[in-house]
Amino acid sequence: MDVIIDTRPLWMVLLSHTGRPIRFAVGILAFYLVATMETPEGLTLEGQRALAVFVLCISYWMLNVLPLMITSLMAIALIPLTGVLTSAETYALFGNSAVFFILGAFILAACLMKSGLSTRLSLVILRRFGDTPRRLLLGTFLLNASMAFFMSEHAVAAMNFPIIAEIVAVLGLRPHRSNFGKALFLAMAWGSTIGGVATLLGGGRAPLALAILEQATGDQPYTFLSWSLYTLPVVAVMLGAGYLVILRWFPIDIESVREAETVLAEKVDALGRLRGDEKGIAIVMISTVTTWVFFGHSLGLANVAIGAIVVLFAVRLVEWRDVEEYVNWGIILMYGGAICLGAALDKSGAALWVAESSLGPWADSPRLIIAAMSGVAWLLTEAMSNSAVVALMMPVGLGIGQDVGFPVAIIAPVVAIPAGLAFAFPIGTPSNAIAYSSGYLRLRDLFVPGMLLGLIAWIVFNLTVNFYWPLLGFSPV
Amino acid sequence: MLSPVHLKLELAVRGIRVDPALAAQGVLARAPNARDPHSREVEIVLPDNVVAACAMQPEVAAVTSPFALEVKNDQFWLTGAGEEAIKVSILPQPRYYGRETSLGTPMWQVGAVTGNYISIDPAATCGFAIQGVTCAFCTLKPQPAGAAQTLRPVQEVVETVRAAFDEGVAEFVYFNTGYFDAEDGGFSALRPYIEAVKNKFDTLVAVQAHPPADNQWIDRTYAAGVDALCYNVEVYDADLLAHYCKGRTDLVGRNRYFEALAYAAKIFPSGTVWSDLIVGLEPPASTTEGIDALTAAGVLPVLSLFRPLQESALGDYPALKPDEVAPIYAHLYRAVRDAKINVQWMRDLGYAVTPIEARYFAGEDAKFDVAVSSFYKSKIGSRAVRGLSKLRRRLRVKEVRESFDSSKL
Ligand code: SF4
Repeated sequence: MDVIIDTRPLWMVLLSHTGRPIRFAVGILAFYLVATMETPEGLTLEGQRALAVFVLCISYWMLNVLPLMITSLMAIALIPLTGVLTSAETYALFGNSAVFFILGAFILAACLMKSGLSTRLSLVILRRFGDTPRRLLLGTFLLNASMAFFMSEHAVAAMNFPIIAEIVAVLGLRPHRSNFGKALFLAMAWGSTIGGVATLLGGGRAPLALAILEQATGDQPYTFLSWSLYTLPVVAVMLGAGYLVILRWFPIDIESVREAETVLAEKVDALGRLRGDEKGIAIVMISTVTTWVFFGHSLGLANVAIGAIVVLFAVRLVEWRDVEEYVNWGIILMYGGAICLGAALDKSGAALWVAESSLGPWADSPRLIIAAMSGVAWLLTEAMSNSAVVALMMPVGLGIGQDVGFPVAIIAPVVAIPAGLAFAFPIGTPSNAIAYSSGYLRLRDLFVPGMLLGLIAWIVFNLTVNFYWPLLGFSPV
Repeated sequence: MLSPVHLKLELAVRGIRVDPALAAQGVLARAPNARDPHSREVEIVLPDNVVAACAMQPEVAAVTSPFALEVKNDQFWLTGAGEEAIKVSILPQPRYYGRETSLGTPMWQVGAVTGNYISIDPAATCGFAIQGVTCAFCTLKPQPAGAAQTLRPVQEVVETVRAAFDEGVAEFVYFNTGYFDAEDGGFSALRPYIEAVKNKFDTLVAVQAHPPADNQWIDRTYAAGVDALCYNVEVYDADLLAHYCKGRTDLVGRNRYFEALAYAAKIFPSGTVWSDLIVGLEPPASTTEGIDALTAAGVLPVLSLFRPLQESALGDYPALKPDEVAPIYAHLYRAVRDAKINVQWMRDLGYAVTPIEARYFAGEDAKFDVAVSSFYKSKIGSRAVRGLSKLRRRLRVKEVRESFDSSKL
């Protein structure tokens, strides 16, 4: 794993380190205060305790006190320990189909990467596009976006990073100085981020939101295809906006990319012809996506994913140790814990109570509530893990939905889509972190255009909710 | 009487005559090393603990030197520096030079002691020699094309460092590598040695290398445990650099040295990133410009003195004139002081006048720096420095994974 050197003044670095015990204590104190306060009217004792666990987890997720998945595990243990739900109920929630869908998606992405098929795709496409600087930039942007339709966005960025790094090296682009170098890494990061919200495969946020929704309502109104239909305008507009912002902020400062063309051509040649295992994996992948699109609702997304994996192993296209290193087990734990916590808040009535007591005067303005929720989700996701944003906002959002009386199913995309659109900080999403680790970008290169892009995304999202979703029969009012 | 540092300069330029009978005595027997490949150099400790590396005959300068090393009553004396002889001592050859590693290599071949550090070159040759572009002042012979850059076993390095530390003749480890034809500037080749030394000894590690293609390798170098880093520019003037060091200009690029040094100066603690400039290979004004360019980037210039080595392509090059050199050192002292670069890391160098020693040329006493320097040299000071260096690394180095952990999922 690569390293970053924190070059801030030493006192600042020291301060951020000594802050950890304080942050640790802040969470415990918040837990203690909520758990021991007089139970407010309308809130059950279980609800109060669920709220205390929720406050503790939020503070640890936001303040990064523990790794995200450890905080999730802690939530799973605290829910029965504080008597909110029984142990049997809590641990059963972990076996949610969303968790297995995400696991399946990871394993399929691992097969793509391990076989080299995804790298082949990247190289071939970049070679096709890469004859002028502008086309290479557009190619990088669209390639990352389209790959993130099918694989988690950070896997896409991690996979394409070495290719981009080699391109900038052969072009002799200077770190921190070269506009084109910056633009290529941003195209990689932002392309995959935008592509990642297009389908249920681009990251774990959407499946997590849907799982929390399903736990709370017992219903699952979204299919693989319908989710993508809801996100379509946001993705389409943001692809245009993202490319224009990159071009505007980092005008192309080189004339030719001939050296990159040569390197890409050499790499494609070195790959040789498409191998049998690559063909096999491609067939399974295409069939899986097709089945998700047409039969996902009836067969179950997770079941289809697991079926595809069984096929891959049955025909020996992949071995277990091949996929083991590519699967992010931490994310599975994180999601399982977040789903348990969401269910605990909902079942104990805590989510509804928070919504009722916080909404007040806005209660009759669903559009405003959606604008506020999506805005908060966007701002939070710039500073913390986007799944943590979903984990903390979904339960409260569902409570708000029930209280205000608009279709609660709308909360899932209202939280999950903006929570995936982090452009401004390395910490916001792994794609940004990977791009930043290239050494080509300064913080301000990400921050200013990234915030602008986030703002555009927020506006486009709200226009979509208010003018496009009603056309699909899905209105907040 | 000349100050010890003025004397060091004179000795470095003019060399020293040594009675052949004395030279044959064991105490003056030298093992070859990177800086003294032909064992014609003796390290003398002058008053104020100033270490001077002086060429002995048959090096040309030494043959006619006004200075001579004599022994009277089992004591070494330096004559020729005035009316009176000056009492000096000789840094004795470490005992471990007579030992072998477990693989049978003489330890002096693995690492030689200079000042307070043991200098190790894990590669058998420099990449410039393989590509036929050795520096003109270097004594390395061009290697046959395609020759491999074989590396010494890590175990031998560890054994030799242990021997030097046990004997108490070295405190730090200095990896001195030539050019590697690799994107990482040779870091991956060096890494196992750095890690082994850091794992097994509580010491500071300095690395002299050539810049990697990408600054990320500099981050990795710091994270791997390197405490001080050097990319030698050697000659500031662009045309003269191309003339003397074709490898540097053609295979790395002059600008890349400055870029990488400036970047490293932001990553490493102040005063731990340095670059040698050879005084005497270019006009004084050009060296002074080089000093300014380096200090402006936060890099410590170390001014080594050009000495024409008989076996090098510059064996007949005219020797330096101390009068021309002294103002350059005065400039060095002021430039480093004005740039507020820490001067404490660079000490006990025989082959160069360190910035803190250069105070003599600037006519300043720099009492505070001298006091701090004495503290650094003490046992407790050196332990504190090692501790602080570790702490700084722990605070500053973050794995990208940490960033992922806080950002992904
Ligand atoms: S860099 Fe130059 S001086 Fe150093 S070893 Fe290589 S050729 Fe010799």
